[in-house]
Amino acid sequence: MKRNTFYLLAGIIALAEVAIFWLSVEIERPILIQIAFVLGVLLIYGARRMVEDRVEDERTAMITQKAALRTLEVFWVVFFVVSLGSAVAAFSRPLGLRPPPPPDPNTTHTLILRITEPDVLPFDLFGRFAVGQLVLLCLMIFLYVGFRVYYARKYGEWDTDEEQD
Amino acid sequence: MKNRIKVYRAMHDLTQEGLANELGVTRQTILAIEKGKYDPSLDLAFKIARFFGVTIEDIFLYGDTAERK
Repeated sequence: MKRNTFYLLAGIIALAEVAIFWLSVEIERPILIQIAFVLGVLLIYGARRMVEDRVEDERTAMITQKAALRTLEVFWVVFFVVSLGSAVAAFSRPLGLRPPPPPDPNTTHTLILRITEPDVLPFDLFGRFAVGQLVLLCLMIFLYVGFRVYYARKYGEWDTDEEQD
Repeated sequence: MKNRIKVYRAMHDLTQEGLANELGVTRQTILAIEKGKYDPSLDLAFKIARFFGVTIEDIFLYGDTAERK
């Protein structure tokens, strides 16, 4: 497979993933996009192995490893912080670690408020958490690309000499 | 670490691309090694030395050895 064919295939898969995501939201089946995403990634990994003019050696492998390690060093902390914050938000509600506070018998309006707006984890918090996680994943990819460019420059990826055309 | 790959390439009338193909690496890797931006693994260093039919020390000059030569 030619390199351009691979990029074309990756683009088509990305578009298909967007369409399946939309469909998944429409029919309210999260498992659909989850399975489709895993299959899409496997397909891209498989296709990448079939690219003919892709030469990988110890230097390129080292660049990839260093970039991945540096990205992991930053983002395991970020993801841990976000997860800790989310866990605290979840456990500080009813059904979590802390029992619900008893209603104040002196104020009736508080009771009414509690009936109309129950103190449970609102659904949109999950949505915000999911979107926040997606944003973090995008940032992680940007950082990884940045580290790759940095190490590629450091180890002479774009150096030229008199033999270069 | 300094090296004399360029000299040995010239002696064998080889381009960077040619040497890279013989060793199964990219041309950029040969260029990076020649410019001292990348130190090859022991495995690749042995491959380079054996390809030119010399010892590793003939091609790669480490630290004070490089200064003395």
